[in-house]
Amino acid sequence: MPVVLEATNLTKRYGEVIAVNNVSLAVEKGALFGLLGPNGSGKTTMIKMLTGQTRPSSGSATVLDLDVEQDPIGIRERVGIIPEQETPPSFLTAMEYLKFVAAVRKIPDIEKKADWWFDFLDFADKKNVLCKDLSRGTRQKLMFTQAFIHEPALALIDEPLINFDPIMQDVVKDYLAGYVKKGRTIFISTHILEVAEEICSGFAILHKGTLLHTGPVAELTARGEHLPSFFLSLVRKDRRV
Amino acid sequence: MVKEEWRVHSTMFGSLSFALFPVMIFGIAFMGSFLLPLMRTTLPAGNLTLIVHANYLMLGLMVGGFGLLGNEVMNRRFGQASLLAYSARSLPLSEKFIFLNFVVKDTVYYFFLWVMPFGFGYILASPFTGVPLTGTLLLLLTLTLSFLFGLCGVFFLSAVYARSRPVLWLVLLTGCLGTGGLAAMTGTNPVLFFPPLLLNSAFTWVNFLISSAILALLFGVAIDLFNPESVGSEKMYRDSFTPLMHRFSFLPNPPLAAKDTLDLYRSGSLVGQTIFSFLLPLAVIWFFLSLLGPFFPPHGLLFIFAITTGVIASTMFTWVTMFDTFGPYTCLPVAVSTLIASKLTTFAVLQVIPAIFIMAVAILSGEVAYLIPAVVLGISVSFYAVGIMAWLCGLSPNVLVYDVKVLFVYLILVGIVLAIFTAVAFTNPYFALSSVILVIPTWLLVQKAKVRWDSVDPEGF
Repeated sequence: MPVVLEATNLTKRYGEVIAVNNVSLAVEKGALFGLLGPNGSGKTTMIKMLTGQTRPSSGSATVLDLDVEQDPIGIRERVGIIPEQETPPSFLTAMEYLKFVAAVRKIPDIEKKADWWFDFLDFADKKNVLCKDLSRGTRQKLMFTQAFIHEPALALIDEPLINFDPIMQDVVKDYLAGYVKKGRTIFISTHILEVAEEICSGFAILHKGTLLHTGPVAELTARGEHLPSFFLSLVRKDRRV
Repeated sequence: MVKEEWRVHSTMFGSLSFALFPVMIFGIAFMGSFLLPLMRTTLPAGNLTLIVHANYLMLGLMVGGFGLLGNEVMNRRFGQASLLAYSARSLPLSEKFIFLNFVVKDTVYYFFLWVMPFGFGYILASPFTGVPLTGTLLLLLTLTLSFLFGLCGVFFLSAVYARSRPVLWLVLLTGCLGTGGLAAMTGTNPVLFFPPLLLNSAFTWVNFLISSAILALLFGVAIDLFNPESVGSEKMYRDSFTPLMHRFSFLPNPPLAAKDTLDLYRSGSLVGQTIFSFLLPLAVIWFFLSLLGPFFPPHGLLFIFAITTGVIASTMFTWVTMFDTFGPYTCLPVAVSTLIASKLTTFAVLQVIPAIFIMAVAILSGEVAYLIPAVVLGISVSFYAVGIMAWLCGLSPNVLVYDVKVLFVYLILVGIVLAIFTAVAFTNPYFALSSVILVIPTWLLVQKAKVRWDSVDPEGF
C-alpha cells in the first residue's frame, strides 16, 4: 500500500520545551491510524505540524506527497481536519458555516450534502442556530461535518469522539470504519485506548514528545495482548526511566 | 483577579512590553508637563483640564466595556478560556460577590496602570513647572474619579440594559433632559456639571462626598442588577451568508468578506463601534478642535479634522479582527496572508463611514469647496495607518495599544506622514489631494505584512 503520510525526525521546540522529539512514522493508504499518548505527550503538536498549522523546528514530513513546510495550504486543501478544541465561528449559523466552508473549498451541491450530514448526525433542528449558541456536542458534530463534507483522501482528527454521547460515538465509529473501507485514510489522536483498539488498524505511542512504539494493532492481538495494557506498561516503564 | 488580568495582558503583549507601558505613560506625562506653559499661551487651562478628564472618562468606559465582554474576547483570542469573573458556578461564591471583586480589581489595576503613572509624572515635574503640589494631587484624585465614573457608568448602563431596554432609554433620556435643562436654566456649559471637573475647579469636601455618593449609587445599582449571563437563548437566522457572498462577488475573497460582515452585524459591533469608537470620540475631538480654530490657518481646522478622522478610521481594522482568531481557519486552506487581505478588504468597505463623515463635516462647516481634498486626505491617512498596523501587528492590531516597541514605531511612522500632510494642506487646501501618493507605501506595507505574517506560526488557536 502506498504511504500517504510520512514524518522523518520531526521535532518541535517551544523555547526550552521540546513538544515533539525526533518522531518518525509512516501511515499507509486505507489505514485508520491512532496516535496515542497521555495528556501533554505532543499529539496535538504532531497534528498541527502535519497539517501545516505550525512549522517543525527540524525534520520533515509529507502528507499526500506534499511537503508540510513547502505547501501547507495545498495540504489543507486536500485533507479534512478537526483541530483540538476549535469551534466554528460564533456569528454564523450551522448551515451558513457549512456554506462558508464549501465556498472556501469550492464544494458543489453544498445544500444537499449539508442536509445529509444534518440528518446523519441528528442535528437538523440546529441548522439555523448561531454557532455560539450551540452545545459542545453539536459544535463537535458541525466540526466533524466540515472535515468530511468534501470526502478527503485523508482526514486528521484530534480526539474524534470528545463531546459525543455514547449513541453518537457509535455512529461516528461506524462511519470512520466505513470511510477507510472505501480506500481513504484517517489519522486520529486520542487517549481513549479502548476506542483506539476497537477501530484502529495501526497505532503509535507518544510520551513526552518521544515515540515509544509504532506498529499494527493486529500484531498485538496476535500476541494475545490488549492495546490498553500494552500502552500502560510502555508509558509506565518510560516514566520510571 | 489582578494577577489574572496581568497575565492576560502579558500573554497578549509580552511581559516586558506590557510592563513598560506605565513607564511610557509616566514619561509622556512628565515631559508633557514641561509643555504646559507653552500650551497655556494658546489653550485656556480649563480646556486642557477638560481634555484630560474626558480622556480618563473614555478610558473608564472602554475598560468597563472590555470587562463585560472579557470572556468572549478571551475565547476568541485564546480558544477555550475562562476568567474568574465567570466562575460563580464552580466556586462557592455568589455572582454578586465575584462581580464586586471584579469592579474593585478593575479599579485598582487600571489605577496603577494608567492613572497613577500619569499623576506621578505630573507630580514629579511640578517643581520645574511651577504647578503647586496640591494642584497635582488634586488632579490625581479627579482623574481617578473620572476613570471611575466611566467604569461604573458603563456597568450601570449595561446592568440596566440587561434587565430592560426601555428602562435604559428612559434613564438616558432623563439624564440628557436633566443636564440640558440644568444648562438652560443656569446658562453654564453642561460639561462643567461633570462632578470630577467641578471638584477640580473648586475642591470642597461636600463636592467630594457628592461625587463619591454618585459613584457608590451607580456601583450599588449595577451590582444589585447584575445578571452575569443570559442562558437558554438560541438565536436563529435564515441563510444571509449566500446572498451576501454573491453581493460581494466583485471583491477578492467574497466568502471571507461575507463572514466578516455577518460577524460585525450580528455581534452588534458595527452599530456599537460606529457610535462609541468612531462618532463619539470624533464628536469630542471636533468640540475640542473647534476651540483651537483661531490658531489654525484658514480652512486648517477641516484638514486637521480630516487627518484625525483618518487616524481614528484606521482603528476600524480592530473591529474586523477583534472577535476572530486564526483558529477557525486552521482546518481550511486559508493562509494568514489571505485572511489579512480579506480583513483589509472589509476594512476598505467600512471606509465609507469616515468618507461620509468628513463630507458631512465639510458641508456643515460651510467648506464644500474643500470636500474632495479633505475626504482624499482622511481616507489616504486611514489606509496608510492601517498598512502600518497590518505590517506591525498582523491579525492582532490590539497589540498596538500596549506593546511599547510596536506603538513607538507606529507613532513615528504615522507621525511623520501626519506632519508632512498637515503642512501641505495648510499651505494650500488643494495640495491635500497629493496625499493619494500614500497608496504606494500602503501597498508596500501590506505586501510586507503578508510575507511577514505568513512566515511565523499564527497565534490564537
